[in-house]
Amino acid sequence: MFGILMLSSMLRFWYKGWIYQLYIEPKHHFSFYGFEWVKPLGPYTYLLFSIAILSALFICIGLFYRLASIGFFLSFTYIELMDKTTYLNHYYFITLLSFLLIFLPANAYFSVDAWRKPRLNSDKIPSWCTDSIKLMVIILYFYAGLAKLNSDWLLLALPMKIWLPAKNDIPFIGELFSEKWVAYLFSWIGCIYDLSIGFLLLFKPSRILAYLSVVIFHLLTSLLFPIGMFPYIMIGTALIFFSTEFHQAVIQKIGAILNVSHSFLTPGGRCHFSKISQNLATGGLILFFSFQLLFPLRYLLYPGELFWTEEGYRFSWRVMLMEKMGAVTFILKDELGKIIEVDNKQFLTPQQEKMMATQPDMILEYAHILKDHYEKAGFKNPEIYADSYVSLNGRIGKALIDPSVDLAKEKESFRHKQWILNFQDEIKGF
Amino acid sequence: MYRHFGRYIFLFLKINKMKKLNIQILFLLAATLVSCVDSPEDQTKPEVSNDRKEMLTFWVDEMILPSYVTFEKDLLALKISAGEFTNNPTEASLSTVRTSWVQAYISWQNVEMYEVGPAEKYTLRSFFNIYPADVSGIENNISSGNANLNLPSTYAQQGFPALDFLLNGVAEQEEKILAFYLDTEKGAQRLSYLTILVSRMDTLLNQVISDWNGSAKADFINRTGLDIGSSTASVVNAYVLYYERHVRSGKFGIPSGATIASAGTPNPEKVEAYYKKDISGKLAKTAQKAFSDFFNGIANGKQGLSLKSYLNSIEAKDPSTGKLLSAYINEQLSIIDTLVASLSDDYYDQIETDNGAMVKVYQEMQKAVRILKVDMTSAMSITITYTDNDGD
Repeated sequence: MFGILMLSSMLRFWYKGWIYQLYIEPKHHFSFYGFEWVKPLGPYTYLLFSIAILSALFICIGLFYRLASIGFFLSFTYIELMDKTTYLNHYYFITLLSFLLIFLPANAYFSVDAWRKPRLNSDKIPSWCTDSIKLMVIILYFYAGLAKLNSDWLLLALPMKIWLPAKNDIPFIGELFSEKWVAYLFSWIGCIYDLSIGFLLLFKPSRILAYLSVVIFHLLTSLLFPIGMFPYIMIGTALIFFSTEFHQAVIQKIGAILNVSHSFLTPGGRCHFSKISQNLATGGLILFFSFQLLFPLRYLLYPGELFWTEEGYRFSWRVMLMEKMGAVTFILKDELGKIIEVDNKQFLTPQQEKMMATQPDMILEYAHILKDHYEKAGFKNPEIYADSYVSLNGRIGKALIDPSVDLAKEKESFRHKQWILNFQDEIKGF
Repeated sequence: MYRHFGRYIFLFLKINKMKKLNIQILFLLAATLVSCVDSPEDQTKPEVSNDRKEMLTFWVDEMILPSYVTFEKDLLALKISAGEFTNNPTEASLSTVRTSWVQAYISWQNVEMYEVGPAEKYTLRSFFNIYPADVSGIENNISSGNANLNLPSTYAQQGFPALDFLLNGVAEQEEKILAFYLDTEKGAQRLSYLTILVSRMDTLLNQVISDWNGSAKADFINRTGLDIGSSTASVVNAYVLYYERHVRSGKFGIPSGATIASAGTPNPEKVEAYYKKDISGKLAKTAQKAFSDFFNGIANGKQGLSLKSYLNSIEAKDPSTGKLLSAYINEQLSIIDTLVASLSDDYYDQIETDNGAMVKVYQEMQKAVRILKVDMTSAMSITITYTDNDGD
């Protein structure tokens, strides 16, 4: 009954072919704190992708399921950790989902494994198996909704008010996107949708309508914004909320097309876990979900405006929340009196530079890449200063980084970065 | 599967209550919005429109093409006077060609920023205004007589800067300049190079104008999006690039030594119109005015759709101060106008006597570049695709 889900995640992975250039071409990569050892593997990066694709295929048909799901989780996570500038919430979602799948008996029914070992074949699995995925989806939507409960989003319709008029030349409906009330409508519907949709999907009477709105909502966002596969993943994943009968009916149909015997499709067995593994799974899930509930809230521990400092912004289901753009120039001085202005294009791709310019942790990491590079080039103890300029949701640009701080001397940590300048405004809410 | 349902229902009801509240707020908000929209704001700004097709049409019909037509006229005058000088080199004909060169160079400042569409295709600026002039290259071309002026290596051997050298820089006094062309041995070759340069400029400009009058115009007007390759995005990219590289760095940063790459050492010999000297200020003022007029949609005394009116129509403003982005931009442009107006017309002299004033212009222009490059493109959902300057 997981077949459809697997297929959608594999398809999107397959679709990702264009991403290869992101990992092989750039000279430098941005790592996640604590995962600096995860680096692209040169030409072997292709091998890594092949493993992930193969694992996804095996998960899909349910062959060597356990091994394939572990393989997929590890290879996919490694790929995501290679470069921070490509971070997207839905990649993180896939990582979490694939982690959960390792522990779920998704091969118990309508799979090659079940066909090889009929003992496995069963059409009933414990309810926590599907519930855990549902919970993950609910957390994702709900936190995405919470993040929208802020004054910029609700009271100023930002960034919708900036993004929508850019689409006002779409035939027929384009005119609407110039209207201010449409930006407000989109903001409020988006927020209410995110907060409630998980529960509406769970609640049987509203389920079909809720699912229809999932399809419409995500298709509309994919039409308007460049967010890749995310809408399709959510459309696929939300199917999990439908009843067992629904999924079985679909599988019966597919089975009929594939000419699979009726007895294989109705084994009548129940997938059992031993007492120990049942307890382990319960404990593990409680731990996992406590982390999922708390981790997105870690921004509360940092001073300053989250959208400005981005301390605790990632891994928190904050999607399409702000229009942030910046430019940053680095000035390097050394003991011998040499002063140069760094040409960012020499080190970074345009995409990397764009991401780096607005995110303090990447600015710091880049400053250290520069330090290492110029030390090798003969500069003595170079000091590195960032001349930055960042605009957030239409606020006139300001310096993000204290230009008098030598970034070469600053270290990355989970502590608050003192050299991020104040936002000089307040965005109220979550 | 249904064991945990009760808890979920409870949560759901809670959310549902919130939803009701939200909807009420939404209605309240919508009501206030509607009342806002009808306020007198609209009457004071009749030129406000976010229809990019109309804006593109105004740009091409009222700004780009008329500027080219004026420039074409001035370039034609230069061509005619250069022809007369070649046929009959006298002090009078030299003086005429020098005057028409000044006029055409000033007129060029009104079109240089339009490096989009046909001008981009023919890389017009590269053949018209790359300075300082490459003197030894020019001398080689004169003696060889068969230079291939399409090569990038010859950019600084042609266009206005090369003419500046040929008309103002080959000797100190006017009589000696004339003597340079009356030379029995090399005079003819020198005159011939002068003619080649001027007619080449004429040919290139005619190509650009006839392309605009052909299919380029309709194509330009119909690419109404904001993605990479759309007309608005191309214009904004060309416009900001021009200001950053060719006004900020070219006219001020490099000669004054204000760019970090020049490390504080002034290079007064890198000013625009270095050999004529006393018009560099006039050229920069013309360029600055054209730049700011384009932003405000001012063309031949009338005001039309522009970046300013577009930004106003999409209500691009700082939510903390409520101030329009176009006001920030115009404020910065007028600071620059004032500073530029106070400079000498001879930038070579300005750098020698008070370089600080040149550096100050560079710094204020840098602020303008950032507002345009970050705030304006962010507000318009445009991506800057040109790469940063590597040379300055």
